[in-house]
Amino acid sequence: MLVSGMTAFSQAKKPTIMIVPSDLWCNKNDFMLEYDNQGSKTKVPDYKEALQNSSELLLVISKINELMSERGFPLKNLESSLKSLANQDAEDALLTSSSSGASLSESPVDKLKKVAKADIWMQVTWTLNKTGPKTSITFNLQGLDAYTDKQIAGASGTGQPSFSAETPVLLEEAVLNHLDNFNGQLQSHFDDMMENGREVALRIRVWDSFDGDLESEYEDEELRTIIENWVADNTVQGRFSTADATERMMVFEQVRIPLYNDKGRALDTRNWADGLRKMLKSDYQIESKLMMKGLGQAQLVLGEK
Amino acid sequence: MKRTCKIGSIVAIAAIMFGCKTTQQIADKETHQFRYEIEATDVGSQGTYQLKVWTYSKDANTAIEQAKKNAVHGVIFKGYAGKAGVIAGQRPLVSNPALETEREDYFKPFFTTGGRYQQFVGLANNGAIASGDRIKIGKEYKIGVVVSVNVAALRKDLETAGIIKKLGGGF
Repeated sequence: MLVSGMTAFSQAKKPTIMIVPSDLWCNKNDFMLEYDNQGSKTKVPDYKEALQNSSELLLVISKINELMSERGFPLKNLESSLKSLANQDAEDALLTSSSSGASLSESPVDKLKKVAKADIWMQVTWTLNKTGPKTSITFNLQGLDAYTDKQIAGASGTGQPSFSAETPVLLEEAVLNHLDNFNGQLQSHFDDMMENGREVALRIRVWDSFDGDLESEYEDEELRTIIENWVADNTVQGRFSTADATERMMVFEQVRIPLYNDKGRALDTRNWADGLRKMLKSDYQIESKLMMKGLGQAQLVLGEK
Repeated sequence: MKRTCKIGSIVAIAAIMFGCKTTQQIADKETHQFRYEIEATDVGSQGTYQLKVWTYSKDANTAIEQAKKNAVHGVIFKGYAGKAGVIAGQRPLVSNPALETEREDYFKPFFTTGGRYQQFVGLANNGAIASGDRIKIGKEYKIGVVVSVNVAALRKDLETAGIIKKLGGGF
């Protein structure tokens, strides 16, 4: 009754899904950017370059988008997201305050986080196989949950070899062949989320300026026990696991947070973890800084903002 | 004496008529007992599955008609295995097979002869059966009929009737 009442009041945040080519596909097709990461050369996929040069990629993305829209689940478009990020950058660079002439403030972390975002990534890879005059396509579609980095859906296989079919035709056939199974698994993931809550992770760290640690006692209770109790009280059926715990850090994994808060409003990881920050401040006068890593990982650093 | 014989034969005919089920009724019963086999034959065009349905029946014509019903029934409740490494198998549209009895109000009229299931299935090759796909087993035939199921429309119909959820429904 309570759950249906909440659903009627508001809807949970609909996960956003975006299709991207896999790193493997980008690397094989030379769509990579290389940069110097503190002395070691690191390669990252260059999606913009891939989208501007591969008509096959565009076809696969648009076919999957079309089929998902037919199912009533339109996807976030990678190309449009990249364009809007670039436009935003250009606008931000020109933006100044009309009174003082100040420009926008942006930390190095903000810059790092300016990338295309989605709750679920559909990572697609395909390879063209040639056996004599016959051509076939090996297709692999993975659904990755950005919150937990877990693969939540997948479909793969090699299509029928053909003497005459063009690559785009084979690719279209591969998408049609695999997408329904992929969607079936995606639906199971959504059903599980509805029943058992969204899976997120929480890290607790301590600034070195903090007077005390996680073993410090407050009202005869260690701070880490207080935090653990709060997590247990605020998860669906108390579901979480404490992956690691020392006097300076704690890691909670497989934390199942409810989709709605007690006011019936949609809840996300940051809002949920903010509840812990507020509790520590109001009940124990512990100041802390809440940071997000990705969409589903919250980090609370105790001691100061 | 003559009159007694007449009455006797009428009673006997009536007993045969009411006591024995028609081939169609038997075929219907077998569908609900999942007595059919489905295999993928090809990747259908967008929104369709192309399948071969193996149906058992004493009457070859009944088997052909029943194959359409079996195909829709199979796509909804049974799913099918694919051709290894070539065509992907598909899961059933409903995850709970008990739904057939739980939602009898929807499925009973849907699967009656001439029911709405016909909207979602068609025979491929005008229902022509390959010579190797008509097998006599004892007193009955096992007949393989290639059909095309419009799974996109079928799914929408089931979603509208509240039998299955929309993808991401609830968000």
